[in-house]
Amino acid sequence: MSKRPSILELVGVTKQFGGLTAVDHVDLKVREGEFFTIVGPSGSGKTTLLRMLAGMETPSSGDILLRDKLVNELPANRRPTCMVFQSLALFPHKSVGENIEFPLKMRGVARDRRRARALELLRLLRLPEGYYGRNVTQCSGGERQRVALARAFAYDPEILFFDEPLSAIDYKLRKTLEKELKDIHKESGKTFMYITHSLEEAMVMSDRIGVMRSGKLVQVGTPEEIYLHPRDRFVSEFMGEVNVIDVRKGPNGHAVGIELPGDFALPGGVAAFDTGHLVVRPESLRFLGSAGEAENHLRGTVYNEYALGSRIQYQVRVGEKVFIVERLRQQAYQGGLDQEVLIGWDAKDSILVTD
Amino acid sequence: MAATAGSGRNRRLVWIWTGLIVVFLYLPVVCGLLASLNQGRYFIFPIARWSLRWWDKTINSIEVSILIQTSITIALIVTAISVVLAFCGALAFARYNWKGRTLFQRIVLLPIFFPQTVLGLALLLWFNMLGLPLSWRTAIFAHLVWIVPIVTLVISIQVYSFDAALEEAALDLGASRWQVLKEVTLPVLWPGIFSGALFAFLLSWGNFPLSLYTTGADTTVPEFLYAKMVAGYTPGVPTLGTISTGGAALIMLGGYAIVLLARRARSGR
Repeated sequence: MSKRPSILELVGVTKQFGGLTAVDHVDLKVREGEFFTIVGPSGSGKTTLLRMLAGMETPSSGDILLRDKLVNELPANRRPTCMVFQSLALFPHKSVGENIEFPLKMRGVARDRRRARALELLRLLRLPEGYYGRNVTQCSGGERQRVALARAFAYDPEILFFDEPLSAIDYKLRKTLEKELKDIHKESGKTFMYITHSLEEAMVMSDRIGVMRSGKLVQVGTPEEIYLHPRDRFVSEFMGEVNVIDVRKGPNGHAVGIELPGDFALPGGVAAFDTGHLVVRPESLRFLGSAGEAENHLRGTVYNEYALGSRIQYQVRVGEKVFIVERLRQQAYQGGLDQEVLIGWDAKDSILVTD
Repeated sequence: MAATAGSGRNRRLVWIWTGLIVVFLYLPVVCGLLASLNQGRYFIFPIARWSLRWWDKTINSIEVSILIQTSITIALIVTAISVVLAFCGALAFARYNWKGRTLFQRIVLLPIFFPQTVLGLALLLWFNMLGLPLSWRTAIFAHLVWIVPIVTLVISIQVYSFDAALEEAALDLGASRWQVLKEVTLPVLWPGIFSGALFAFLLSWGNFPLSLYTTGADTTVPEFLYAKMVAGYTPGVPTLGTISTGGAALIMLGGYAIVLLARRARSGR
C-alpha cells in the first residue's frame, strides 16, 4: 500500500471564516485506492476540509492537488470527485433509478445506456432490480444509503468522499453497513475518504486515519499506530475511555504521580520529559491478589460495576480519582462492592504522552 | 364505561361546535345564493317566488363578461409576475445567508400589514405624481405590492424545508447551475410555487380596496358588486357574487386535485 502514488495532496490548506480558522495548515497525502478516514469531534474542521476537497468551499490559502494538478478553484461539478452527504441528499422527487442515473443524464448519456448502468449498479450494491422504479422515500435507511452510493458510483469519480453518512443510522445496521462499505471499497478499488466523529467507525473501515482537532491534523497513521501510539492525550482519550494519570519525571526512569501518590514504571523507549500523562486502557488494568503481581499498582475501592455483554466494567475509586477497569466475563472480579482492592498493570501496557 | 360515555359526549360536542363554525362561515355565501334565486327585485325571506331569471340575465350580460375578463386578466398577470418575483424573493428570504437578510425579511412583509385602503390611496397619489393614466394595468402594479409579499411567504415555507445539500449534491454530480435549477430546485419547490400561484390568483381576484383606487375607468368584479350594492341593486349582484365565490372555490379544489394527482402519480410508480 505504501508504494502506491498519492492521488490527493494537501499543502498547508487553510480555511478562515471571518476571524475563525476552521482548517489550519493541513498537510496530507492520500494514496490511490486507500480508505482514508478523518476523525475529530464536532467543530474540529473535518467537514470544512472535506468540502474544500470536494470543491464546495475554496481554501483561504494552501494548495489542493489532485493527481499533481492544482484544483483549488475548480468547482464541484467539474471535479472528478463525488460526495455522499450526511443527509444522503437523495432527490425526493425522483425514483431510485432516476437518482442513480442523474450524473449520467447531466452528461447527456442516452436513456437506455443510463438504465443499463443503473441496473448494473443496483446489482453491485445488492439492491433488487425491482427497486429501479421505486420512490426513494419508500426505501429504508440502509437501502437509501446504497442508493446514494450507487449514484456516486454512477458519476465514476476518482475519489469518493463520505460526510458521516452513517451517523443517523441505528447501531446494528451501522455495523453492517460499515463492513459492507469496506467490502465495496475493496471490490471497486476506488479511493475513499471518509469523515466521522467516531473513532470506532474509523478503526473498522480505514487503511489510515487522520485525527483532527481545532482545525489541525494532529496525527496520521494506521488504526494500529493510532491505537498503540497516540501522539497526545487528546488522541488517546479520543480512542475511547482511558485512565489518565498526571505524572512528572521521577528517579531511575520512573514517573511520580502528581495528584496520586505513587511511583510508576514506564514503558520502554520513552523520550525525555518533565511532566506528562500516563495513559492506561481499561482492559490493561486487572485486579491483583498482591502488589507483586504487576509492575504498577494502586489501592482503591470498587464502587460500581456494569455488565457490557462479554465484558464487565468496574469503577474503582482511588483517592479522588475514578479508574475504569474492564475485564472479560470469565475473569470477573469476585469480591463485593465497596471493598478495598488492588488494581495494577504492567509498564508495557501503558502509554506516556507529554501533551 | 363512564369514561367512554364522557368521551362520546365530548365527541358529539366537538361535532356540534365544528358544525356551528362551518355554518357561521358559509351561511353568508348561502344567503347570497338564496338572494340570487329570488324572482323579485328585493330580497325578502322567505322567498316568495323562486327563479333562475337573474342567473340567466347575469350569464348573458356583456357587461358582466367584460368585468370577469378584466378581473381574470389582472389576476393572471399578477399571478405570473408575483410567482417569479416571490420565487426569487423566497430564496433570498429562506435559503441564502446574506448580509441584509434579516432586514429584507422584515421589510418584505411590511406591505401585508398596511391597511389596504391607505395603500390604495398612496398608490393612487403615486401614479398621479408619475403621470400614469389609471387603468387595469396600474391595478396590476397595486395588487403586486400587496400580493408579492404574501406569495413570498407561502413559497418561503417550502424553501425552509428544502435540504440545501440537494443542490450541492446535484452540482457535485456534474450538473450545471441551470440543470440544478431545472432538475432539482424547481421540482422540489413545485408544491410551494403552485400554492403560491393559487394564492396570488385568488387574492387578486377577490381584491376590492386596491382596485377601487387604481383601476381608473376599468372595473373588476368586486368593484362592480360594491357599486351596485350602493346604488342600483338587483338580484344580479348576489348572482355575480355567487359566481365569483364559486369560481374561486373551483380553482382551489382544482388546484388541490392537481396536487393530489401529482402526488399519487409520483408514489404510484
